[in-house]
Amino acid sequence: MIVSDEMLMAYLDGELDGENRAAVERAMAADTEVAARIARHRALREKLRAAYGPILEEPVPEQLIDAVRTSHVDPARAKVIPLRAFRAPAVPRWSAREWSALAASLIVGALVSALALRSLNGTPVESMDGRLIARGTLARALTNELASRPKAGAPVAIGITFLSKSGDYCRTFTLAGREAIAGLACRDHDAWQIETLTRSEAAAASGGAYRLAASPIPRPILDAVSAAMAGEPLDASAEAAARTRTWTRP
Amino acid sequence: MVAGIVIPSRRSMGTRIDALREEIVDLLPRLRRFARTLARNPQDADDLVQTAVERALARADQLRAGAAPAAWLFGIVRHAWIDEVRARRRRERVLAPQELAESVADRTSGTEADFLAVEDAMARLPEEQRTAVALVLIEGLSYKEAAEAMNVPIGTLTSRLARGREALQSFLAEPIGAPR
Repeated sequence: MIVSDEMLMAYLDGELDGENRAAVERAMAADTEVAARIARHRALREKLRAAYGPILEEPVPEQLIDAVRTSHVDPARAKVIPLRAFRAPAVPRWSAREWSALAASLIVGALVSALALRSLNGTPVESMDGRLIARGTLARALTNELASRPKAGAPVAIGITFLSKSGDYCRTFTLAGREAIAGLACRDHDAWQIETLTRSEAAAASGGAYRLAASPIPRPILDAVSAAMAGEPLDASAEAAARTRTWTRP
Repeated sequence: MVAGIVIPSRRSMGTRIDALREEIVDLLPRLRRFARTLARNPQDADDLVQTAVERALARADQLRAGAAPAAWLFGIVRHAWIDEVRARRRRERVLAPQELAESVADRTSGTEADFLAVEDAMARLPEEQRTAVALVLIEGLSYKEAAEAMNVPIGTLTSRLARGREALQSFLAEPIGAPR
């Protein structure tokens, strides 16, 4: 009987039914060449198991066990609309021309200076390679805070979270203060790039006692959201899941 | 345009999640080992496992009721690795370095040398063959489970496995220090 290599491997991997297994074993007994092939494959498996086996004996780092025991599980996850549905074909990031148009209408420079004067544990926005990147309190809030669990008196309030047409997570935010500033930031690699910034009269009027449901998002930010968003804003569980993945797509 | 349609949800977590957590804790040694076939650096491998278990718990509902979590979890580790490699490539704008071999210089014991030889051979396999070999030959998953973890038909899995085996045989037959 001719035993194909495929069959021989399946035999070794325990994937053959009784009849085929018996056939391979008969062939192995009758033909030293078959027996040698099996021995060769078996030796490879033994080598692999001997090499990687000791890893099983290593103590598992406590940090990993803690991660499993305490990692956030969103019970409403089952109701989440799959993020895949929000994915759109990749399109280039907003062009420099669009960015300049935005910049012109929003007096970004003045806003950034105004921001820099605040003591929110350092400058919340920094200019880097012609882009504005969230820093300090703002960056931490964008990464860690959930709009579904607003914190009273927090310096940064998160509004809508959504996936952009280029497939990055974006979030609107408001920085509390005498004159609140609202903005839109999108995840770019490991940073939050500020796409839009504006003064937020409405948020200012609420005196910093920011409550998501009650706080209107300023028009320029809404317009930027409309332009950038693919699909709909994330709901609470999708937002939490995105945070768990540190804002990388599933 | 409706702003802030984010409604907090406070349903109880239920015991199924707690049972799953304990099953994952029991699987951690195997997940770590599998991760070591992907990321050779032990710290990177553990980071990978951590990312994967957090993802797994965040989408625990994707695990079908009654299904064994092993294949599902191995699949999540693999996906996390693919994401990590992509992220590295984006960051570095070059191919991820294969992280080969500084450690090869201080081969001390025979066992260590054997391990490094096998690890080197594994690292030379294309990711898809290496994963197939790791899941079936090292982790002992069935073809069906491994195919599920890799999200491919069984025929694809077995052909990757066969090619991976042949390649490993030939790599390991090379004398140590042979040019590559």
